[in-house]
Amino acid sequence: MELWNHCENPYPFVPAEVLDAAPAVRASLPNKYCEPEIAAGLYDEVFEEYQHCDDIGLNIVTNEHHSGINNLWAASPVITGIVARLTKKVRILSLGTLITVRPDPVRVATEYATIDVISRGRLDIGFVKSGATEMVSGDANPMRIREREWEAIDLIEKSLTSHDGPFSWEGKFFTHAHVNIWPRPYQSPRPEFWAATSDLPTCAELGRRGMINTLLFGGYDRTRTAFDTYKKARAVAGLPAPGEDRFSYMAFCYVGDTDEEAHRIGQKIPWFLTVSMKSAPQMSKFMPGQIAPEMTPAAWRAGVSKRPTDLSVESLIRQGQMFCGNPDSVVRQIKEFRQRVGGVGRIIMMTRQGLVTHAEAMKSFSLAAKEVLPQLQGLNPVDADMPTAAQ
Amino acid sequence: MTAMRVGPFELETLRIGNGRTVLLIHGINPIHPDSPFLLKLAADAEVIAPSHPGFGGSPLPADFDTMYDLVNLYLAVLDSLPSDDVTVIGFSFGGWIAAELAVANPKHLGRLILVDPVGIKLGGREDRDIVHFFNTDPGELDQRSWHDPARRPPGIHGLGWQATISEKMTDQEMILLARNWDTLCLYAWRPHMFNPQLKHWLHRISVPTKVIWGESDRIVTPDYGRAYAGLIPGAEFTIIKHAGHHPELEQPEAFVSAVTSFPDPRR
Repeated sequence: MELWNHCENPYPFVPAEVLDAAPAVRASLPNKYCEPEIAAGLYDEVFEEYQHCDDIGLNIVTNEHHSGINNLWAASPVITGIVARLTKKVRILSLGTLITVRPDPVRVATEYATIDVISRGRLDIGFVKSGATEMVSGDANPMRIREREWEAIDLIEKSLTSHDGPFSWEGKFFTHAHVNIWPRPYQSPRPEFWAATSDLPTCAELGRRGMINTLLFGGYDRTRTAFDTYKKARAVAGLPAPGEDRFSYMAFCYVGDTDEEAHRIGQKIPWFLTVSMKSAPQMSKFMPGQIAPEMTPAAWRAGVSKRPTDLSVESLIRQGQMFCGNPDSVVRQIKEFRQRVGGVGRIIMMTRQGLVTHAEAMKSFSLAAKEVLPQLQGLNPVDADMPTAAQ
Repeated sequence: MTAMRVGPFELETLRIGNGRTVLLIHGINPIHPDSPFLLKLAADAEVIAPSHPGFGGSPLPADFDTMYDLVNLYLAVLDSLPSDDVTVIGFSFGGWIAAELAVANPKHLGRLILVDPVGIKLGGREDRDIVHFFNTDPGELDQRSWHDPARRPPGIHGLGWQATISEKMTDQEMILLARNWDTLCLYAWRPHMFNPQLKHWLHRISVPTKVIWGESDRIVTPDYGRAYAGLIPGAEFTIIKHAGHHPELEQPEAFVSAVTSFPDPRR
């Protein structure tokens, strides 16, 4: 099993009264509330954390969101390129630049090929469909983004794997008459592809393509259902059963010396849900294309959020959305999660979140690498008789 | 409701009344059969009101997703009508379609009425002519769209429809509103509600044209409307008092009076 450190580099220093009064803390919060000197310090700290991860064997995830307190990684390829040069050993996943928002997938392929060469083949490429606030920030039509995402992925893949001169692309969403990226990627045929989704038709397509399926905070049942859908799609297509390395899961995570210490610090992490997700109604439940029209009566009547209402550490652990405690507790939680979802080979830890400090994050990473990761190696196969979510 | 078949496309279509042919091109939502203005118009006209592909009960064909598709579809609709003197009335987003249609000078078009249309860009690059339908707080949208939101007709939806969601609404009504909203976005997210080229071609409109505007429209202002009318040769401009973006819904009598008082020089 692998452990990955995912940090969004949040900016939690906007006064609470400003956040309370703002209709949204993403997409439309004025950037006068982002102090460049503070941001510079945050970049320094998180890059230092990434270098520490490189030393101790935790892989690294970057992502991007825009115009809000939740994320200072506004351009994942820029950040990932810096990380490629700052690190020497671990793998780096960009999860990812927002291909449903970016106008030219060929440019995205060029950026990723460059990072792959700089890192000497340590890059993984992740794809995400993007949320509603991102459609606003990127001025991208929120309709038909699933189809647009797949065409972008296809064009990126073709760009990364074509080596005999220019080819032409005239698709539904993208046209590019002359595609011939330099440099070509370091890895052959291309860096590994991931996608973050619990959307079942998308999971099935990931299965058919053999891409890594990661879920964010899906909990036991949704994750199990997604992974089962992936496996079933491969079986139906006559493809070999996937290994556990095709499955990944991101959860809140804090590893402390004791359960008490971990729970106390870990309680700062759900800031991600309690504060940083606040979105205006036009950027959430009324944004076109977010849910099928048939689903709107339930969503409009009850609110669209599937987020848990009890955000205590204990509750999040119980729901499989957080791994938190002393190293043995975290090992036990991850092992149980792995069993209940039918196997998962890559755990992504969201640790430096909200008001968790640099020192607190560094300590958790050290313990994760030294005390947790070794106990997750050479595990026995998951019990094939474990009940599925549907049963 | 009946179905109109135009080439490979099937359009849910409302037909009411007898007389000269009036084609309604709807805006945010399809024309509601109980709309008072509709019944008044139909007193001496055959009113035909299709739902655009993806709106109401009209299927949305694969790859049908641009204003180009809509304009060609409505050119085909006009061709299919027996009358060679059709009055086309376009509302809001449908006013944009109607203006594009008229630029092509279709032979069946007799006269053109645009009601608070969007579709052109007039201001500077940092001036927004048209309030963003999809990125504006629903409450603000509601306030800007109506002269008096409290007096809107129940069950008949215009812009700011989100403010009307209540337990009284049926699931089917919500599903239709969501479908209409999605499809509108598909056609018009970017550039938001305009064709940068259209204003250069409005001079080609050769049929008698009237531009009707709600005095309190704060989605697209009457000044925008005056300038729009000024780009169409000979176009009349009429203000409806105590109405916002949907004068046909807020002031049906004044609206119908503005339509019927529009002299038709061909008659």
